[in-house]
Amino acid sequence: MTDTPIDKAARATPRRVARVIKGVSDRTIAWIFVAPTIFLLLAINIFPLIWTINLSLTNYRANRVNREVDYIGLRNYERILTDTDIWLSMQATAHFLVWTIVLQVLIGFTLAWLINRKFKGNDLWTTIIVLPMMLSPAVVGNFWTFLYQPQIGLFNYVVSFFSGVDPSSFEMLGSVTLAPWSIVIVDTWMWTPFVMLICLAGLRSIPDYIYEAAEIDRASKWRQFWTITVPMVLPFLMLAVLFRGIENFKMFDLVVQLTGGGPGSITELASINLKREAFEKWRTGYSSAFAIILFVTVFGLASIYVKALNKVKER
Amino acid sequence: MADVSLDGVTKRFGKDIGVSDVRLDIPDGSFVVLLGPTGAGKTTTLRLIAGLERPDAGDIRIDGRSVIGETPAQRDVAMVFQQYSLYPHLSVRENLSFPLRSPILRTPEAEIARKVAEVAEVLHISHKLDNKSTALSGGEMQRVSIGRALVRDPAIYLMDEPLSSLDAKLRGDLRVELKRIHADLGATLLYVTHDQVEAMTMASHVGVLDSGRLVQVGTPREIYETPLNTYVASRLGLPRINLLPADLFPGAPTGARTIGLRPEHMIQTPGPDGDGQDASVTRVEHLGDQTRLHLVCGRHDMITLTDPHTNLVRGDAVRLQPRAPLYFDDRGMRIP
Repeated sequence: MTDTPIDKAARATPRRVARVIKGVSDRTIAWIFVAPTIFLLLAINIFPLIWTINLSLTNYRANRVNREVDYIGLRNYERILTDTDIWLSMQATAHFLVWTIVLQVLIGFTLAWLINRKFKGNDLWTTIIVLPMMLSPAVVGNFWTFLYQPQIGLFNYVVSFFSGVDPSSFEMLGSVTLAPWSIVIVDTWMWTPFVMLICLAGLRSIPDYIYEAAEIDRASKWRQFWTITVPMVLPFLMLAVLFRGIENFKMFDLVVQLTGGGPGSITELASINLKREAFEKWRTGYSSAFAIILFVTVFGLASIYVKALNKVKER
Repeated sequence: MADVSLDGVTKRFGKDIGVSDVRLDIPDGSFVVLLGPTGAGKTTTLRLIAGLERPDAGDIRIDGRSVIGETPAQRDVAMVFQQYSLYPHLSVRENLSFPLRSPILRTPEAEIARKVAEVAEVLHISHKLDNKSTALSGGEMQRVSIGRALVRDPAIYLMDEPLSSLDAKLRGDLRVELKRIHADLGATLLYVTHDQVEAMTMASHVGVLDSGRLVQVGTPREIYETPLNTYVASRLGLPRINLLPADLFPGAPTGARTIGLRPEHMIQTPGPDGDGQDASVTRVEHLGDQTRLHLVCGRHDMITLTDPHTNLVRGDAVRLQPRAPLYFDDRGMRIP
């Protein structure tokens, strides 16, 4: 009798179990292993999605359980797509999304590029820069409301120190023009390190000898940057943008903590609007339709983007 | 093209010695091969000449001017790296034309196209010109790397084991091709390898490196026939030179500690009778064009060559006589 782990396992199997297992094909065994995961996916992802689609076609309200539910076809969708409030919240989301991504990519890549130059203590700097990312969004939102205080806030103080403007003359969170930027600044502060880390991984993946070869081929630093660094980091950068894009499309906690959607509804992002419709106004059918529209938008954008990403990777 | 000279060049990496006091003249149009095992300082020497490393001491001159303070670009050298150092997102054509597009050169487009086509032809990669460089086999990648050096007309070509990652057939072809290119272009070449066949077949001069020091420089025949010491003697020749106690055979000069016998420098007479020392066959290797005979003489193992169609088998007795042996003293230096 041999003594490999498989033989040991075979010997340890009770005879009754062994008899059952013997008749089972490999394929069936594979299914048995995958089944729990599939069940969970169906229960917590697929079923709610289908149920949401179902609800989006009704005038159901979750706070009035006894009311009769009518199927009203696509009327919810019609109302959403013609609702100016919804479009305003979509615009707020777009503004937030575009500017956070632009700033985070620019700053994140620059930081990664600086950190990647070999200097003393760059590991320590990496750790320090990455710290904001490790904080809870609720905490970040909360203490930035203090930083943004016109009287005592550090942010206003610093701005006034450099520009000479009176610190109490502007209110980041209270002003209609500044509030959309205040949330962009906080999200950029918190998540630029994430983009930086991914860019850093990309930069570190470029072997030194490629730069050495370019150096010997008499390519300028500028040309090396555009023909080696940028193309080789691009797939990483695009991945970071994808992650940040999906995350910020559903941004909720940080902004609620900072502005609560205000002043007025100027920073009311789509997800905040959705939450209001669903759990404050209790328009369950209507908000289900809105959720489906958001889902299709993110899904569509992400699929187009992933296609582009794969193309870049293939080069 | 230009001549390159190294004058007492030393480079340390922390406590480790990269190269130590290397003096080497690479005349214009020569094909110099640096030979040595891993860690002997071959690659470091190349990188010092290319300007990728700065020497701790000594001077490097290209065409008579000291280049110590110059960048790799200013030195005008071309280098083939041991790894495939291709620009991964560029096509083969773009890779090959990359050095020519340097603003220093201002090469006209037609000239670039002509040169790229010419080099691609030589390296048999014409049909791959529009491939992405990542969609190539290892051999093709290395040929593109070599091509990227060949499109230029630099002061010196530096090649760091360019053929070591290729299969045997391609390596043989490219060896001939490189030698031809060298002859055609009249190029100056410094070539690093640990493969003695490459050294023997291509080099006009061979430099043997031992842990950072340049032990001997000479033509391949000089190195083979009159090695300075046992180290150099054992770097060239396959099977390796047999290093045996000098008193194993009569006729050693005074002071000789070791006798060096190349496999072809032993006369064997089959049978227990005849001149020379007793030896017995332990193994016979038929390689087709040659047959290697493993012998034991006294308590010493040795390898020699014999008639390809020999009838000798394991256990047979032979008589052994040295022919044109090399003698080395107790410091390993050859006694002339």
